[in-house]
Amino acid sequence: MSKRIKVLLVAAMVGLAMLFAAACGGGGDVGDTPDGAEDGDGSPQYGGTLNVALSSDAPRLDPGLSSSVYDRYVFQSIFDKLADIDENGEVVPVLAKNWDVSDDGLTYTFHLQEGVKFHDGTDFNAEAVKFNFDRNTDPASPRRGELAAVKEVTVVDEYTVEVVLSEPFAPFLSILTDRAGMMVSPTAVEELGEDFANSPVGTGPFKFESLMKGNNITLVKNEDYWQDGLPYLDSIVFKIITDTNVTATNLKSGQVDISDWRFPTKEIANFENDDNFVIVNEASQNYNGFYLNISKPPFDNKHARQALDVLMDREALVDLVKDGAATVAHSYFSPGCFAHGDSDIPPEPSVEKAKEILAEGGLEDGFTFTYKTAATPEQQQIAEMLQSMFKEAGITMNIEQIEFGTLLDQTIKGEFEAAALGWSGRPDPDQNIFDDVFTDGSMNYSRFSHPEIDELVTAARKELDQDKRKALYDDAMEILVDELPYIFTYHENNVICHSKNVHGFTYISDGLIRTAEIWKD
Amino acid sequence: MSTPTPNLNAAAIAPQEMAFQRESQWRMMLGRFTSNKLAVLGGIIVLILVLTAVFAPYIAPYDPIYSQDYGNVLQPPGGNHILGTDNLGRDTFSRIVFGARLSIQAALISVGLAVVVGVPIGLITGYVGGFWDEWVVMRVVDALQAFPSLILALAMAAALGGGFYNAMIAIGVGFIPSFIRITRAQVMAVRNLEYVQAARAIGSSDLRIMFLHVLPNTLGPVIVQVTLSMASAVIAEAGLSYLGLGASPEQPSWGGMLHVAQGYLNVEPLMAVWPGLAIFFVVLGFNLFGDGIREMLSPQ
Repeated sequence: MSKRIKVLLVAAMVGLAMLFAAACGGGGDVGDTPDGAEDGDGSPQYGGTLNVALSSDAPRLDPGLSSSVYDRYVFQSIFDKLADIDENGEVVPVLAKNWDVSDDGLTYTFHLQEGVKFHDGTDFNAEAVKFNFDRNTDPASPRRGELAAVKEVTVVDEYTVEVVLSEPFAPFLSILTDRAGMMVSPTAVEELGEDFANSPVGTGPFKFESLMKGNNITLVKNEDYWQDGLPYLDSIVFKIITDTNVTATNLKSGQVDISDWRFPTKEIANFENDDNFVIVNEASQNYNGFYLNISKPPFDNKHARQALDVLMDREALVDLVKDGAATVAHSYFSPGCFAHGDSDIPPEPSVEKAKEILAEGGLEDGFTFTYKTAATPEQQQIAEMLQSMFKEAGITMNIEQIEFGTLLDQTIKGEFEAAALGWSGRPDPDQNIFDDVFTDGSMNYSRFSHPEIDELVTAARKELDQDKRKALYDDAMEILVDELPYIFTYHENNVICHSKNVHGFTYISDGLIRTAEIWKD
Repeated sequence: MSTPTPNLNAAAIAPQEMAFQRESQWRMMLGRFTSNKLAVLGGIIVLILVLTAVFAPYIAPYDPIYSQDYGNVLQPPGGNHILGTDNLGRDTFSRIVFGARLSIQAALISVGLAVVVGVPIGLITGYVGGFWDEWVVMRVVDALQAFPSLILALAMAAALGGGFYNAMIAIGVGFIPSFIRITRAQVMAVRNLEYVQAARAIGSSDLRIMFLHVLPNTLGPVIVQVTLSMASAVIAEAGLSYLGLGASPEQPSWGGMLHVAQGYLNVEPLMAVWPGLAIFFVVLGFNLFGDGIREMLSPQ
């Protein structure tokens, strides 16, 4: 009894607060609270189809072989992972009920959920987990790098697996919250081989139904899902809509219920004023900016790099290019990450300061460089703004727009002076910094090498205590904001728009949509 | 494009003796041109374009590239900006004015290249004839003409790499076949006429005959083709810039401006109208002017 009164009281207070916020003209996330105030939280309803707009096709529906973020979008519904991240960025158990980590950080013992079955009836057990680890550490799998620290996987009993690492590796659990931790059916893989990607089988809340290349991917409810009462929806249809402006139109017409995280920022204001929609505009794990090639002039001169850094008006970039849906950036760690610190605050833009720096570096007359970038409208706008900002200190920036694949290729080969490439981000800080700055790291396109940095980022990935790790990353960033092998612009928000009759959506910082708890009315 | 027309062969008897007739002929042609009102209108548009391009810094109130004003983006026409501002707060009018320079450059470079390469080839192959003409040059020309010109330009621009000049070369190459064809057809029409035979009879060399006697009589249709190609060049430059293969993005190319404006059609639709109108008028101008010249040279 008293419980119900409490709920009503809270609901009334929320309602009042919302009314007040609305009266003050505050936009905020009003969203679905008005009906929440009427009938408490509203009880979830079963049935219905969720239409999800995907801004590119998902090329390979096999977690072991996928290398596209769009695959990851679809995987969230078909596959369960050993663990997941929650809305606070913490690693939480899923198919692994819990786990023990040995004191030396080398042995992980996973205790598995019992009684779980794959969509094809195969039992989920320790053998299946071992099968998946073996498959993902195969030389042919793109997952191999993520699991490079895995030395041995042994089946202890039917529901216990032991994973031994060759050295302590702090990001290990967070890596299992993504493709490397998704469990595929061993029977299906053996039967289908290469064809598995065309009819993937997992343990997730939805089963794969059909796929039409470049058009749609349809999933149906897994009636035997191991989590009681879930999922609510009958089916999910991913509609491939490459033009995000078309996604916006489809939301308005009701053809689409929810967008992916690429909702066009120009439309945010428009949809926020529409009571039929909820805009989720949240920080993500990514960073944007450009690599400077420090193996050749002009950026072998540290002062040239520092001058660019202090000339950039990042606030203007966020306002104009992203319509405010981004946070200015100055480090590899976005605000949600535990390693995020003061290093992420960029310097105040100053032409005088830049001129001083240039003079110190013997570049009184400025210098000229070429900035290579992809030919998207957003990237073009950034380039033109930077060009104008640098011009004020006598730095001439030529813009070269090239196709994305070519840009990536030339950047990898070092055929550039400045190259605009961002990073979509991962939950663990190690995965956002290590390969970028470690000598000869796989994404160290700047050709940066600094013994102290190598030591710090290696120590940070071996350290299991979060506070100590943060201290190590703080020390690394202190050097990096002076060295500047990469110039940051902003951390882009994930912007997702859904119709107000979609409920139960929880935003996770990777921007992917978990569908098990979503329901429609 | 234009079929060879019966030419002014009277003018080609012997240069010195014809001075008087030629003068009155020019006067007649000028009369024919000025009585064609549309042609005059075209001429005026072209003249305005040229003057705008030459005096751009004096006409434009703002710098076309660096006058970014982030507090003043996507403004509708009015106030300090008679055509409004773009997505970076730059004055649209100033960018349109400076865009005239790029358009003129585009037209001159690409068509110039086509004339310099196409006319001599057409002249020589048309005059010499035979296997090389019939089975090599003309078949290559056929092959080139089989591609839609924008696709050819796209492929070449992609192969040469981005940038304004590469784009202009790519467009120019696309124009070469039509210049070869037109010149060759003209040459074949006159190469066996009496005055050429006469020149040959008195022992003139082939080179002398080609460049002194044949070439001047092929120029009429070539000039028409030049003006009409200029219109196509303006469109092609706009098209390549629209696709991101032309001028560097900060340059005020009309095509590039259209490309940017497309993203703001819901927000500031007029942004797309101004460069569109500029392209429309200039292309119209070149076309009317070209038609006028064609009629002037070959009255039907």
